[in-house]
Amino acid sequence: MNGIYILKRLATSFAAFCIAVTIMFVLLRLMPGDYITMYLESIYRYAPPDVVETFNRVYGLDRPILEQYFTYLLDAFRGNWGYSFIYKVPVLTVIGEKLVWTLIILLPATILATLAGIGIGAYSGWRRGSKADAALLNGMIFIRAIPSYWLALMILIIFAYYLNLFPLGGYVDTSALATGIDPLDVAYHAVLPILTLFLFSVTGTYYLMRNSMLMTAGEDYITTARAKGLDELTILRKHALKNAMLPMVTLITLECAGMITGSIFVETIFSWPGLGMLTYKALAARDLPLLQGILLVDTLFVIAANIAADLIYPLVDPRVQVGDDV
Amino acid sequence: MTDEALLEVRGLKVGFPTPDGLVRASDTVDLRVYPQETLGLIGETGSGKTVLGMAILRLLQPNTIIEGEIRYRGRDLLTLPEDDMRKVRGREIGIVLQNSGTSLNPVYTVGTQIAEAVTLHQGLNGPDAWQRAVELLDTVGIPDPVRMAGEYPHQFSGGMRERALIATALACRPTLLIADEPTKGLDAVTKRGIIDLFSEIDRDHRSVLFITHDIETVEDLATRVAVMYAGEIVEVGGAKEVLGDPAHPYTRGLLASLPERGMQPIPGSAPSLITPPPGCRFSPRCGRACGDCRSEHPGLVEVGPGHYARCMLYDRG
Amino acid sequence: MSRKRVILAASFGIVFTYCAVALLAPVIAPYDPHAITGAPLSPPDEDHLLGTNDLAQDVFSRLIWGTRATLLLGFIGATIAVAIGTAAGIVSGYYGGLIDEAVMRILDVAMTIPIFPLLLIFTTFFRPKIYLIAILMGLLGSFQGVRVIRSQVLSLAVADFVVGTRALGAGDGYIMARHILPGVLPLAGVKFVTSAQHFMLIGIGLGFLGITDPSVVDWGQMINRASQNGAMVLGLWWWLIPPGLAVTLISLALAWLGYACEDEINPRLRVMRI
Repeated sequence: MNGIYILKRLATSFAAFCIAVTIMFVLLRLMPGDYITMYLESIYRYAPPDVVETFNRVYGLDRPILEQYFTYLLDAFRGNWGYSFIYKVPVLTVIGEKLVWTLIILLPATILATLAGIGIGAYSGWRRGSKADAALLNGMIFIRAIPSYWLALMILIIFAYYLNLFPLGGYVDTSALATGIDPLDVAYHAVLPILTLFLFSVTGTYYLMRNSMLMTAGEDYITTARAKGLDELTILRKHALKNAMLPMVTLITLECAGMITGSIFVETIFSWPGLGMLTYKALAARDLPLLQGILLVDTLFVIAANIAADLIYPLVDPRVQVGDDV
Repeated sequence: MTDEALLEVRGLKVGFPTPDGLVRASDTVDLRVYPQETLGLIGETGSGKTVLGMAILRLLQPNTIIEGEIRYRGRDLLTLPEDDMRKVRGREIGIVLQNSGTSLNPVYTVGTQIAEAVTLHQGLNGPDAWQRAVELLDTVGIPDPVRMAGEYPHQFSGGMRERALIATALACRPTLLIADEPTKGLDAVTKRGIIDLFSEIDRDHRSVLFITHDIETVEDLATRVAVMYAGEIVEVGGAKEVLGDPAHPYTRGLLASLPERGMQPIPGSAPSLITPPPGCRFSPRCGRACGDCRSEHPGLVEVGPGHYARCMLYDRG
Repeated sequence: MSRKRVILAASFGIVFTYCAVALLAPVIAPYDPHAITGAPLSPPDEDHLLGTNDLAQDVFSRLIWGTRATLLLGFIGATIAVAIGTAAGIVSGYYGGLIDEAVMRILDVAMTIPIFPLLLIFTTFFRPKIYLIAILMGLLGSFQGVRVIRSQVLSLAVADFVVGTRALGAGDGYIMARHILPGVLPLAGVKFVTSAQHFMLIGIGLGFLGITDPSVVDWGQMINRASQNGAMVLGLWWWLIPPGLAVTLISLALAWLGYACEDEINPRLRVMRI
């Protein structure tokens, strides 16, 4: 373990987190109107001055701005992210609950998309110029060009509305009110959202894998493998694939992290109660603490993804030590 | 030569379609490699010698245009079905590719890659194949072969990588070994080591097709020498004859350009392989060119016992 | 014409058409996009090519006017993103040393913070005009391209001709502008096209979420309002489908352009070996 690496990684992550918090803090103070105004709108408007003073004292608004900032920063690190305007519970709690729901559709979609993208992308790149490759490539470019909200909408309309194959949204049937949540029902409701997320993310993985494979296929060691007398399939499987997958490690981890926010469109259209839906509601209600929490959670995910990539890469590529600049 | 040729290339034409036209990397090449000899194939970069080596094992890109015959032990390799060709590769004919730096897969240990060839052709299982790989590394002169077999290519030096590649090519004891520029980019000492290694390999009663642009490496190793220019064989014969008293002006020019023989460069530059010069392809640069040279294309004629040259000086037919 | 050329031509054609429509909107659109023109939610007829929406506005006119917002978001955003990204990449790659370190570190931090949520938050709270949204997207999106440009510059900066030019007495700025920049332009060009595509999709996405400039006609808003007004159940296809198709089409055209250019630039795919 390279000591400098750990330091660098920590420093970057720390800085990123701080900056995210700082941005939110500045936003808070820049808001037309006061923080408290939003919190206790009507009450504040009609509250007598001594109540206002008490509030200011309690929320530390009468302290110098720098002190407020550091308290705020410290709170962020401690996980004390305030209370949501809409839900009136700690932000972390709400996010925690909703995150689980997002992961229910996100994890299967990402795993499937990764596997499919790698497989199809590798095949496509290996057989560059073939009819299969051309068809796949065109298809993927087409799907990728469709905006995610439109894709989701179309899937909903076609499969749920016209074909009546799947529910129109939500995560359970209304009968759950009486009988409790049935995992199979949830799974049934999850199919279309997962399908949409899958379609959207597989194109990216496919494209990158294909490119990676194109570069790998032209390498000299592939010719060496052929010169040994190995058959094409073995060469693809043993030599080409492993090398082509190397750049994918960083990309996949980052995709995972990016999908958290990417799911906002899908969840909104399918009424899936996850983090994306939460973001939508928070935006509509201008729920600052909640939005900040979401931003911080996303940042944490990206940080985790970066660290994961840093750790995984040396495991698969013998040329790289932990901490090398990839 | 009275023996039957091990490898006989007849009328080989290799062309690459490019947006600018067809690149004729080999234009009607005839070449023979006899058993237990080392044939040195010399020529400038772009003369087509690497293409020739790759063509023998059918390692060129699928859209390459190949015509002619490549007979190995009587069978035409160019008409073999792919499955049979795979049995030839590595097992009967081995090749050491150029660029040792990129010719080994970086994510597998060297031992694994050598063992792979052994497992494929000789059916040895894991530990036995590994054992053989270690032996091979020892044979090619890599110190501490047991440990080095478990190392990765990037941990090998340039010279050691070259040796490892040679080990891979020799793994299944092929009868013909093609070596493409094995000393390229190596310092003088390392180069010497590789040349010595090849002289040892020679003793193992196999044939070697030694492709290089470095004449000095060939002087010690080759029994016969062939000279390639602009996709054609312009001179071929015994090493002593060709290098001692070359018949073709190009060969003469090559020797004269060596540092210890005067370092006289050949004027002009290599011709285009898309539209080669009419007549003799060397005529634009030849100091002894005459009118016929520029209009007629010379054939390969005998200028001595077993010694042939493609030059209008000798082709008065 | 080869198939590739056909697609390239078609893509250019589509982009040009959109630009033309955007410029000529006041002339082509039959109605003012904000004006009330008859019965709401009525299907297409001879007065209204694409019917009307819930506010009785002509959908066709809104579709035409919406082109402006889309192109603005895409092209202004892309210009800014590519300009900043290229400049940073060139400076960082050329000077190396401390400047390079600094830029790389800033980039590390900046790329750790998720851009999309930031964009959402900024847009929601400041409700900027559409130009500012485009600029904001450009700023936030500029980080991504720096590394690629930088690595290209690194391979150029040590090239002999650069050293030679310096030996002639040329200043850094001159070298960067006259010698490095042209080498980097193809990459920057591709980046421009793909960025434009992304910013269009995101920008319209903001409209879909209801957090864009409300004074501007935006296809995202149209889709959003359509689906919220029960477009699916009531079958208001004339309101829901056209904006979606319009976005998809320009996105597709730009995607094709981007891919075709990338293919041209990257010679690794050439089948050439001697």
